[in-house]
Amino acid sequence: MQKFEYANATTIQQAVALLGNTWGEAEVLAGGTDLLALMKDYVVAPKRLVNIKDIKELKGITMTANGLRLGSLVTFEEVLDNAAIKRSYPAIWQAVAGVTSPQIRNMGTVGGDLCQRPRCWYYRAGYGILAKDENGKALVPDGDNRYHAILGNEGEAKYVNPSSLAPALISLMAKIKVAGPKGSREIAADQFFVTPKSDNEREYALAPNEIVTDILIPSASGVKTATYEVRQREVLDWPLATASVALKLDGKTVKSAKIALGHVAPVPVDSDAAAKALVGKAVTEDTAEAAGAAAVANARALSRNAYKIQLAKVAVKRAILQAAG
Amino acid sequence: MSTNQTQIVGQSIQRKEGRDKVTGAMRYVDDLLFPEMWFGATVRSPIARGRIRSIEFTGNLPWHEFTIVTAKDISGQNCTALILDDQPCLADKFVNHAEEPVVLLAHPDKYLLEEARRAVKIDIEPLPALFTMDDALNQTEIIWGDDNVFKTFLVEKGNVDDVWASADFIVEGEYETGAQEQLYIEPNGMIAMANADDGVTVWGSLQCPYYVHKALLKLFGLPPDKVRVIQAATGGGFGGKEEYPSMIAGHAALLAWKAGKPVKLIYDRAEDMAATTKRHPSRTRHRTAVNKDGKLLAMDIEFVIDGGAYATLSSVVLSRGTIHAAGPYACDNVRVRSKAVATNHPPHGAFRGFGAPQSIFALERHLNKVAATVGLRPEELRRRNFLHEGQTTATGQVIREKLDLDGLLTRALELSDYHAKKERFAEHNATNATQKKGIGFATFLHGAGFTGSGERFLESVVGIEATATGNVCILVASTEIGQGTNTILSQIAAEALRLDYEMIELAQPDTANVPNSGPTVASRTCMIVGKLVESAALGLKQTLVQSGLLTDDYSLDEWRQACAIYIAEHGALKSFSKYEAPPNIFWNDETYQGDAYGAYAWAVYVAEVTVNLVTYETRVDDFVALQEVGKVINPVLAAGQIEGGVAQAIGYALYENVVWDNGTMRNNQMTNYIMPTSEDLPPIRVFFEENPYTYGPSGAKGIGELPMDGPAPAILNAIESAIGVRVNCIPLLPETLMKVMNA
Amino acid sequence: MTIEKITIDCTVNHTAHSIRAYPMARLLDVLREGLRLTGMKEGCGEGECGACSVLLNGELVNSCLVPVAQVSGANITTIEGIAAGDQLHAVQQSFLTHGGAQCGICTPGMVLAAISLLERNPNPTEADVRTGLAGNLCRCTGYMKIFAAVVEACQK
Repeated sequence: MQKFEYANATTIQQAVALLGNTWGEAEVLAGGTDLLALMKDYVVAPKRLVNIKDIKELKGITMTANGLRLGSLVTFEEVLDNAAIKRSYPAIWQAVAGVTSPQIRNMGTVGGDLCQRPRCWYYRAGYGILAKDENGKALVPDGDNRYHAILGNEGEAKYVNPSSLAPALISLMAKIKVAGPKGSREIAADQFFVTPKSDNEREYALAPNEIVTDILIPSASGVKTATYEVRQREVLDWPLATASVALKLDGKTVKSAKIALGHVAPVPVDSDAAAKALVGKAVTEDTAEAAGAAAVANARALSRNAYKIQLAKVAVKRAILQAAG
Repeated sequence: MSTNQTQIVGQSIQRKEGRDKVTGAMRYVDDLLFPEMWFGATVRSPIARGRIRSIEFTGNLPWHEFTIVTAKDISGQNCTALILDDQPCLADKFVNHAEEPVVLLAHPDKYLLEEARRAVKIDIEPLPALFTMDDALNQTEIIWGDDNVFKTFLVEKGNVDDVWASADFIVEGEYETGAQEQLYIEPNGMIAMANADDGVTVWGSLQCPYYVHKALLKLFGLPPDKVRVIQAATGGGFGGKEEYPSMIAGHAALLAWKAGKPVKLIYDRAEDMAATTKRHPSRTRHRTAVNKDGKLLAMDIEFVIDGGAYATLSSVVLSRGTIHAAGPYACDNVRVRSKAVATNHPPHGAFRGFGAPQSIFALERHLNKVAATVGLRPEELRRRNFLHEGQTTATGQVIREKLDLDGLLTRALELSDYHAKKERFAEHNATNATQKKGIGFATFLHGAGFTGSGERFLESVVGIEATATGNVCILVASTEIGQGTNTILSQIAAEALRLDYEMIELAQPDTANVPNSGPTVASRTCMIVGKLVESAALGLKQTLVQSGLLTDDYSLDEWRQACAIYIAEHGALKSFSKYEAPPNIFWNDETYQGDAYGAYAWAVYVAEVTVNLVTYETRVDDFVALQEVGKVINPVLAAGQIEGGVAQAIGYALYENVVWDNGTMRNNQMTNYIMPTSEDLPPIRVFFEENPYTYGPSGAKGIGELPMDGPAPAILNAIESAIGVRVNCIPLLPETLMKVMNA
Repeated sequence: MTIEKITIDCTVNHTAHSIRAYPMARLLDVLREGLRLTGMKEGCGEGECGACSVLLNGELVNSCLVPVAQVSGANITTIEGIAAGDQLHAVQQSFLTHGGAQCGICTPGMVLAAISLLERNPNPTEADVRTGLAGNLCRCTGYMKIFAAVVEACQK
């Protein structure tokens, strides 16, 4: 690990002031579960580390009739311990429950979950977010891409977004509140993630001197939600595909639906096609299956990941059936 | 105090060093500190094959502060001595695999050292590399010797070619197994002190002190008494710390010699996974003649393993795989042709099972196909061909010990409720489109000790020494790596001498203090070394009896008194015992015929699975492991060995996939290389049959590798019974199964 | 760029310590090298294996992922702080009796994970035990003897 300066911020303003104007100068430290491993392997090498763990404003869970607010420092364990979230926002609770290591649950924060970097092994081996060798040759198309993207993979970015929470937040139409030098702003969850065009950009719509402060989730009263993950092993590895759904039902008929997929594309995928396939119909095995098929209709496999198309379809189908209960 | 009458062998006595392990007091190599110690790092080849053009030390670093070692600094022979000595300690002009060591660095600041490691640029002109066994066999390039072949064996019994014409059925099949990482949780590491006056001393995480000793002698050209190897507590080995520690010890010692400081060289996990050995990938082709009654008439087997870039242990891995290829069956005509070939992967090496899991996987999958072809149940086909006392194995070894495989199979099928479950699952599967359940088994054997003449050549020696207090110290180079060496050898000595278990201790394995009891490999520690401990212990007693200080029936006090008097008179009380082959054991290295192993463990393993036809995941729901291993010395430790081996083998069958990308391991992180966790494993139910072996200590045989052999074929047989589709490659990942099912 | 060592005041195994360290030093390294508490091990350095587990303010964490600057004022328990003198903790004793330790490298982390689990859930089922130990990898035992040890420890 390279040497770096450590700065401890106790207020949001301090934290923001300590961050630089370009990516790579400084990194934000919260739970550390991703950042320290990245630094150990020299994948990121910031000159300054800004610890935000002591900022009290970033903590706490508040639930009102209008919705749910998660401070960005809320840990996975705090979400799992919260019976009200489990009851009212099952999609959120289930997304977090997918992380089963007690250590990571205790350390990992919801803000960190949104800002963690991709698990792509070329990225982790130092080839950059777009995974190119020193001659600029893209490594993913001809390399081992079994865990890479099946949607949104036409451009140079082939990795998948690693966030556990993102699909649930998108399906619930949450907002991500961020703070910068000029104050705070809210970003719709489905606008929070972006696809970088170069190694100097990030996968999220933050400026280099902004931090995530809150996650704001509107009330899910009358909304049926669920998250379903498909993974290869019970614990510790990342899911191969995730789907979160939020359904409003009129009797048995789906009045509206919001369906989002994770771990299948460089950004979480808000699938209008899947939602459209379901709206106006009763939730059955067949309609859920059809929605799953719609979600992956435009999927394009790389050389070794065709199996993920099926898994993504399954995730959508099961999430729908689970939500409709 | 009276004579200790309690039986010690057969009791689940607590692990000798257990207390230090549960309190964290145990010192492993990375826990050791030496004054003025520096840290070492290894700079490795980024590509699989090429000619080294230059080495540049870039960046704004104080290079003058670093100790830098290249091949030119080697005073002896530039090799990691093992069998053929073809593997350089540091690559000189050419590299032959990715991650091959080229340059070594040492510095007192380990953070700066890591930056320096990244700033060394090795410029290599690429040469065409081989990554498949077929390319190696087809000699697309010649990368090793004249023909890319490290070793070939031929085992012939009867004549298979006389049989084909008269067979009712001829069944063919091809089976493949992948590489597997040992994944001991403690990464490799060594500390060295070295200089011209004192010679070379290393402390490390290792299985075989005398292998390291031999390698350092050659590397430095020093006399034996100038090289000393000491084992630190070792956090798992499984074969992964059999041969590779010799390389790391050499590197640490070269750095220490040049730096004039102690040097600690600890591998990072990613480095350990990418650079060190893994299980040999394999391909086996079977051609089997069988009559309509299910009698095996001829077995023609071709077995090929990928040895990687250097010969290392491939010839002996191949040997064990070859001999186990025909399994526990009596067949008059057997031919096994086997080859270990060179590729530009990092050398594959020792891993629990050592070739046998590969060839047994093939055989136990293939016999289910044979059974289906003949129209017999898999258990019935096996019953009609099991070896019995007096019959001969593929190498012509006559089974002399009592053997009842029929009974073992019957009991295993009862314990697992096999027949009832088979029926229930058939009903379940008929009505459930997505969750398919199946049950399958494998019957197999594993030879204990070195293959063939190996033990004769090793000539292992064990010492045992009594102190004036009557306590006894066992002197062996056999290492505790978690499997229970300290505990079982103490039990064996205590039993032989009728002393308390607490009165026995083991000397730290240190080549300056312990004789060469051979490497800690090949399921040989209990059966071979244990027997030597037993006979050395009896020698100790005999010395006292012959001196008139002890009668045959003695109390602990009388023992203590006798030791005290003897030591007062003679200075020391020691006894040594050297290996002698049991009578009637002969092996012919030319014909590969004879008694391949002194004894075999026999087993039947049964796996129950659910296959999800939506996600194509397979889950093992229940696992029964029944084995006959002679006398069980310590039931808890023995069961622990079996459970751990089965867990590794479940990983081998279903999860653990080494992703190769032009000869580089792409998933060299625990995040991406998936070993079973606490949530992935079924209940593993372990049962023993005890059939004491005449030449084992208290009747014990070897046990360590056995559990690695059976689970993979049992699980794939269960999968076949669940989905009715044959899959013959492991690891069987969901994506592979999906492809097969949709094909 | 020169970086200064900082002083971190924290409590380790009931003893107050003032630690001089670089702020970015991992808690794992500071405890192992600075305080010579070598019971916790570095198995992977990326939070996957749990061999470096410690209790940080009562919560199980991977010390390889904690920069020491984050533990200012914290209360840390390592494996060395578990036994009361010669008196082993029930979980440690149970690991001994049931063969829960083989090579021993994962054992300290595993014992801490088990203790952390039992503090939250004094009567875990085997399924709870499996989940509670899900952040700790063991390559020797196949976990069966560890489950038995934890289940028995909570019956005491």
